[in-house]
Formats: sequence, structure tokens, C-alpha cells
Amino acid sequence: MMFQFIPLVAAAAAAAEPVAKEGGLFDFNATLPIMMIQFIVLTTLLNSLFYKPVGKMLDDRDEYIRTNSAGGEDRLAEAKKLTQQYETELADARRQSQAVIAEAKAAAQKIASDELATAQQAAQAEKEKASKEIADQKQAAFSTLEKDVDALSQQILSKLVNV
Amino acid sequence: MEMLGVLNNISLLPVAALDVGHHLYWQIGGLKIHGQVLITSWFVIAALLGVSVLATRNMQRVPGGLQNLLEYALEYIRELARNQIGEKEYRPWVPFIGTLFLFIFVSNWSGALLPWKLLHLPESELAAPTNDINTTVALALLTSLAYFYAGFRKRGIGYIAKYIEPTPILLPINILEDFTKPLSLSFRLFGNILADELVVGVLVLLVPLFIPLPVMVLGLFTSAIQALVFATLAAAYIGEAIEGHGEHEEEH
Repeated sequence: MMFQFIPLVAAAAAAAEPVAKEGGLFDFNATLPIMMIQFIVLTTLLNSLFYKPVGKMLDDRDEYIRTNSAGGEDRLAEAKKLTQQYETELADARRQSQAVIAEAKAAAQKIASDELATAQQAAQAEKEKASKEIADQKQAAFSTLEKDVDALSQQILSKLVNV
Repeated sequence: MEMLGVLNNISLLPVAALDVGHHLYWQIGGLKIHGQVLITSWFVIAALLGVSVLATRNMQRVPGGLQNLLEYALEYIRELARNQIGEKEYRPWVPFIGTLFLFIFVSNWSGALLPWKLLHLPESELAAPTNDINTTVALALLTSLAYFYAGFRKRGIGYIAKYIEPTPILLPINILEDFTKPLSLSFRLFGNILADELVVGVLVLLVPLFIPLPVMVLGLFTSAIQALVFATLAAAYIGEAIEGHGEHEEEH
């Protein structure tokens, strides 16, 4: 490694000191103006080949996006308005349907309670009639029984007296 | 320089050789050029242009694939420029700042990720274009020109008044600033990228396997940050030149 390193230091030293004769680090010559001209030519060429067309593309796209996004915003606002309108309509419809349902429910309730009341009345009447009939029949049965008792006791009496 | 040759000879992996201060020279007229820098910079430029062409060939409103990547990049750059320069003035500066960012970023990452060293040059070696001082100074000088231009265009000759603001006592410091700005910009980028490549090179030389990996990952991170820093500072300088030192804030 060492034998490589020593010439390296020498090389660094040689590189550092400006060389008096031809060559060296700070060797200015006609490369400089040629490079300036090359660079100016490159700038003009790139301007017409790259910056102008690509820049135009970018600006056109910006314009396109701006107009489109303006239109989009309009449409979005419109859509929002429509949504709101539909939502109010929907709420109205819901309220109406609720009212209809409540009404129907109330009507049904009324009908049901009416029917129930008439049915109860009818049942009550039926029951009263039945109990009255039972009482009548009971009465009739009692009276026949009494008659039978009388006849039997007459018979028993006559038999005992005859004997 | 012979030391470097020795170093190259004894290194175990030819890929891991250190090569600092050597350049591949090309001659154009009487001018000398660093060939290795230009080759990689052409590659970077070609990559950027190629991706741009591919991505913008068939653009859709709903982006996908490369288009998406470039749109993300452009939005990032716009955001950066807007934050530094301000909503009103940033648009004309997006290409400059964006190209700074993309060029430096792709340069740095190409230096860190692509195995340039497998391609052998007669002299020097291929690396990130930003590890050559010429490139970074060129970019920094362009930034200086840009903010002077921005200042004079926005405020006319009144831009000079910023040198005696808030008080004329600060005149020397304000003038000095115009020199320190490009200097710090160029040397920060140059130093970071070169140092990163050197550290990785040295570590690979010492311990060829696995140990340099965390440093390489750190290098990727530094490279990205340096691109961001350069672009952000350039934008900030331009923004400052346009705004003045904040005293015109009320007029906006």
C-alpha cells in the first residue's frame, strides 16, 4: 500500500502547483469563448425545443384545468342545490307519510275499539238473556216439582188411610 | 508530470488512473483548445437536445414518460427562477437559468456516472466538462453579462446608481462584488467537481472495490447540489440586478 501512496502524495503536489509550461489546472485558452458560444447556442436551441413547447403545454393545461374547474364548481353548486331541494322534498314526503300512517292507525284503532264495544254489548245482552232464561226455567221446574210433591203426598196419604 | 506517469504505470486498474492538468490540445488557427472538454460537452449538449426532441415530438395533455420528466424539470426551473427573480420578471430568464442548471447537472452526472475512461485519448482523459476551469469561467462570465444586461434593461442607466447604495462609502465593495461573483461561481463549481473526481480517483487507486462507493454516491449528491447552487445564485444575481437592493420594493 505504501509504494502506492508515496507517488500519490507527489501527484497531489504536482496537481496543486500551477504548471508553468503548457497544461495544468488553470490553463485558460480558446476553450473558454468556444464554451460561451456553445452555451448560448444550447440556450437558444433548448428554448425553441424544450422551454417554449413544454412551457406552452404547461400553461395550456393550467388554463384548461382552470376553466374546467370553474365549470365543475358551477356544476357542483348546482348539484348541491338540487340535493338540498330533493332533501326538503324527501323530508316533506316523509312527514306526509308519517301523518298518513298516524291517521290510518288512529282510524284503525277507532274501528277496532268500536267493534270491541259493540261486541261486548252484544255479549252482555246475550249473557243477561241467558241468565234470565235460566231463572225462568228454574222457576218452572220448582213449580212442577211442588205439584209432583203434592200429588205424591196425596197418593201416600190415601194408601195409608185405606190400609 | 513524470510523477503522474509513474502513478499511471503502477496503478492496478487502468480505469483508476489519476490524470490532472493534462489536456488534449487541438489547434484552430493560432488558438489552442482543450479537446477532451469539448468532446464531453458536445455529448452533454447532444443528450439534452436529443431528450428535448424526443420528449416534445408527440406531446399529450396527459403527460407520460419523457414528457413528464421534462415537464417536471421545467416546473422545477420555473419555481427556482420565480423564487429568486420574482413573479413579474422571471419568465424571460427561465431559458438561461434552466440551461445553466441542466447543462451543469448533466455534465456533472455524466462525469460521475459514465465510464468515460474506457475511451482512450492520446493525451488526458474524458471527464465532466465542468472540471475544466474554462467551462466554469465561461458560465460564470455569461452569468455576469446576464445580470448586467438585466439591470441595464430594467433600470436603464440608473442601474449604476446601485454602486453607491446604500451609501457611497460602499462603492469599492460594490465594484469588487462584480468581480467576486463570477470568481466564486466558477471556482466553486470547478473545485467541487474536480475535488470529487480526485477523491474518487484516489480512493479507487487505494482500495479498488466497494469502499469508494459511498464517496461516489456522495459525489453524485454534490454534483446535483452544485448545479442547483450555480443556477440559484445566477438567478439571485439577476433578481438582485432587476430589483435593486430592495428599496424599490414599495413601488411594486
